[in-house]
Amino acid sequence: MSDAERSTYTESEVIMSTVRVVTPFVLTFGLFVTFHGADSPGGGFQGGALVGTVALMLAFAFGIDATRRWLGRRAVTAAASLGVIAFAAVGLGGVALGSSFLDYTAYKALPLKKPVKLGIEAVEIGGIGLIVGGVIAGLFFLTAAGPDADADADAGTVPGDGADTGGGPGGDAE
Amino acid sequence: MIAPVGYALVAFVVAAAVATALLRDVLAAIILFAAYSLGMALLYTLLLAPDVGLTEAVVGAGVTTVLLLLTIAETVRPTDGGALERPDPRAAVACGALAVVFGLTLPDLPAVGDPDSPVIAYERVTGYYLSQSYAETGVENTVTAVLAAYRGFDTFGEATVVFAAGVAAMVVLRREVLT
Repeated sequence: MSDAERSTYTESEVIMSTVRVVTPFVLTFGLFVTFHGADSPGGGFQGGALVGTVALMLAFAFGIDATRRWLGRRAVTAAASLGVIAFAAVGLGGVALGSSFLDYTAYKALPLKKPVKLGIEAVEIGGIGLIVGGVIAGLFFLTAAGPDADADADAGTVPGDGADTGGGPGGDAE
Repeated sequence: MIAPVGYALVAFVVAAAVATALLRDVLAAIILFAAYSLGMALLYTLLLAPDVGLTEAVVGAGVTTVLLLLTIAETVRPTDGGALERPDPRAAVACGALAVVFGLTLPDLPAVGDPDSPVIAYERVTGYYLSQSYAETGVENTVTAVLAAYRGFDTFGEATVVFAAGVAAMVVLRREVLT
């Protein structure tokens, strides 16, 4: 099983070069969809998923373990958690200003140019975008590296090693 | 103009779905499933729902495919038998009946853009969003305005569900290895 796990990564010059060229565009498009979601199709969900996909592409080209170490597994979980906190904070901000939960019109009390739109964008970008991007990248790394992906001894253990009961239904491929 | 493209896409999507269900080779089935999602994304875009189309393209054709590909790395390819699954007759009848029942409801659905369709005819809700959302929120994309402002509480719940599901999956998968 550990052999099958390893064999998911093959160093390929073609894939690495393609990903090197495509990634900046995907990342830019993802950020555009996220940040421009208020005025064009898209929004936090679609854009966050696109940005999360960048991590998937990098992992396919340069190795899943290497990408996970580079990104840091805590960063992924932290992004998703931060999203929930940001969403709730924007909602509670309305309460703090004397209105209802998630009532952006409350922000009209602040000296902002477009308070309602800013509230919506904060929720879309800082909330939904972070949650979706973080969850997608986290699920990917977890599925890829086997059940003990999050074990703290990252480099030492071979993912899936001796954990056949927790792995896929098929058992050994080789 | 749009109709032939739409019908072609529907035929493509149905063919991809049937092939996904019948193929024995899991890798081929996953690739066809991605093609199915891409067809659906194009269909949504054709029906003027670009937000849904984007989601289907990214999540359906992209992320789901990658996650499925990762999981089959742990399975074996079937060496015996033909290229096609031999479906259980009872399952085939059940699936066929379900498809027929859903198909029978199709003629009762309003046509695309039908002015008498409930969404447009009872415009107290839809019309309100379309006419007032920009003035009230300053957001040009009405879908975003509805999701984030008018239905903000629902969206908050949905985002929390996504987060909770992700965290739950991480916790469960991490525990698997300990037992």
